[in-house]
Amino acid sequence: MNRTPTFYGLFFLVVLAALLFRVSWLGLRPMHHDEANQAVKFGSLLEEGRYRYDPNQHHGPSLYYLTLPFAWISSGTSFASLNEVTMRLVPAVFGAGIILLLLLLKDGYSPPALFFSAILAAVSPVMVYYNRFYIQETLLVFFLVGAIASGWRYLLERKWGWASAAGFFSGMMFATKETCIILFGAAAGSLVLVHVLGGSIKSIENPRWKEKNTKKTALVHLLVFAGTAIAVSVLFFSSFFQNPRGILDSVLAFKTYFGRAAGAGFHSHPFPYYLKMLAFSHYGNGPVWSEALVLILALVGCATVFINRSQKMSERLFLRFVFFFTILTTAIYSLIPYKTPWNILPFYIGVIILAGQGVYFLLNASRKIIVQSLVILILGGGLYHLGLQSYRANFTYSADPRNPYVYAQTSPDLLNLVHRIEEIARFHPEHKQMLIKVITYPDEAWPLPWYLRSFGKVGYWQEVEEAAPFSDVLLIISSTDKVDRLQFRIGANYQSEYYGLRPEVLLALHIRKDLWDKFIEERSLK
Amino acid sequence: MIKKSDSLVITILLFFLVSSSPGFGVQDTAQEKVELELKLPKPMFVGTPRNIRSANLERITGKRRPPFYVPKGTELLSLDRPVTSSDTEPVIGDLGFLTDGEKSGEEGYYVELGPSVQWVQIDLGRSCSLNAVLIWHYHSQARVYRDVIVQVADDPDFITDVQTIYNNDHDNSAGLGIGKDKEYIETNEGRLIDPRGINGRYIRLYSRGNTSNEMNHYVEVEVYGTLNK
Repeated sequence: MNRTPTFYGLFFLVVLAALLFRVSWLGLRPMHHDEANQAVKFGSLLEEGRYRYDPNQHHGPSLYYLTLPFAWISSGTSFASLNEVTMRLVPAVFGAGIILLLLLLKDGYSPPALFFSAILAAVSPVMVYYNRFYIQETLLVFFLVGAIASGWRYLLERKWGWASAAGFFSGMMFATKETCIILFGAAAGSLVLVHVLGGSIKSIENPRWKEKNTKKTALVHLLVFAGTAIAVSVLFFSSFFQNPRGILDSVLAFKTYFGRAAGAGFHSHPFPYYLKMLAFSHYGNGPVWSEALVLILALVGCATVFINRSQKMSERLFLRFVFFFTILTTAIYSLIPYKTPWNILPFYIGVIILAGQGVYFLLNASRKIIVQSLVILILGGGLYHLGLQSYRANFTYSADPRNPYVYAQTSPDLLNLVHRIEEIARFHPEHKQMLIKVITYPDEAWPLPWYLRSFGKVGYWQEVEEAAPFSDVLLIISSTDKVDRLQFRIGANYQSEYYGLRPEVLLALHIRKDLWDKFIEERSLK
Repeated sequence: MIKKSDSLVITILLFFLVSSSPGFGVQDTAQEKVELELKLPKPMFVGTPRNIRSANLERITGKRRPPFYVPKGTELLSLDRPVTSSDTEPVIGDLGFLTDGEKSGEEGYYVELGPSVQWVQIDLGRSCSLNAVLIWHYHSQARVYRDVIVQVADDPDFITDVQTIYNNDHDNSAGLGIGKDKEYIETNEGRLIDPRGINGRYIRLYSRGNTSNEMNHYVEVEVYGTLNK
């Protein structure tokens, strides 16, 4: 398979299929706690045009600014009329964009290998699942691939445009998530390791740039790279010069995140957490989940990096870089006690690139038809299984704890609570302007602010006493262990119901009897 | 006698008179009342919450159940009695799990019935005087089962002389009438229902999904009473 129209045609078909997979039924899964956090933060940018970088929460600004065009097209400047689909379209489109960006890695490894990497990225359950998640990870990987690809093209062509592009993508990585520092460190370390192993980038024989390779030109290109990166991050962190303090905060934030990485609390997981999750997961009576095929193919790809002498020097260097980058990032992410499953993405993209190389090697390992047929059969079966798992993860088990990628996910039952509140609001004289008091622990309040965004008067408290008085409150939401104290205050004049927030976490909804009776009366008339 | 045209003029005059008076059609003027502007606390932004996937047998609320007293001679009537259900092909497990005496919260000890309203029915073999019914839906996770309704009858089809001993379907979503009993969080203690000595051969238990998923589950149901002579 060469870089012919056929190759590009097939490649774009894969990108299109990946996009369709990512954008289908985006509203199926209830908003996760973290997604709602991000969405509400975005709401103030949309409606008030205000954004201030917070060095303690929410990560970088790129997600919010890049959501703006999606929101403007779908609902103008009204936060209340946004929906889950619009929010999740952002990572979904960028998720498919990751695959498209792989095209820039041409000359880094063979087109067939690149094509197989694209297929694996398109169907990988963990990739698809978190490409449909309104958090920063997908954008981070998109900009990471962009930075590596631009850097690679710069090394091949030595044009200032690629230096600038690499700077742009690097700046965007920084403006996306603070953990980009791990990726920058791993990239630098990988370059050093490639060099130590005798693979100096000078050994890439490319007459196109040899003549331009003066020290002065290199310095100018370095300045272009750094200048672009700094300019992009300054623009975003300063909220486009509305909040200059954000620039300083973007640096100070590292203190917060280093502290969080060490003191992981209940997100502390052992070293093999990520690899084990990818290799084999099985919970309760749910299906078995495994991306072991990708891991094994990546191991084959790793082996070819060192033993396959038929590769061009440029390919060998590029694959060695990806090899070291993947090993380093996997090791660093696994060593950090703080682990959440979406952190798999930044190192898994390297695994997928190596796996594509592994497929290519296996298909060319033997010229015997029977061997090639067997390889194709196994790979076909494996791809089908990955696709099936991806379908299950995103459409059948999207909020089910038996899915390994479901992590502190909001229970679908919370939508019943929201539906009930909307039903009840119809009977309140002020409808959606009725007063709602939410009395919960901070982490039990989310994603309510997202779901109650169209209600005008919603207050959030942590203690029953702080939320008093209750005389004019017809609707209260509380944590279950606050029910006793709340009922002591409000008496028996409320109808209470329980709803699931997350596994093991319930919320109680208290509706004043007069409102409840109106609701039941109308229901009985039906 | 007032003419039709006169009455129309009077009506129009009255309308203008009333509508020009304060408080007609709109809220009181700003001088008398102003809308109270509430400054409500905003939600606190916090990081990713704990991910819970393991079983939890601890109680969420309340104290241990106080002792429950029954007439002397009361015995467990439901052990190994036949069970039928609206869902004849359970998703997981076997209907026999309901009366096999095993109350473990682990995997392999519960039967899972399909979504929406489902019932299970225990045949005690003959009419008995019932003194206690104990239900465990699923107690390895804090969850609430919806529309828990327990009925007793001598008619296996539950058409005649049906007595309801528990009903927490407060919004009649199961369609069997509004119940006044409270919803409750499942624990390893099970839910104790007092049938107050009513007589019946068949016990039917309804539910309509739970706060974790749409399915209906039972680990065990125990019916205590005395055989009628």
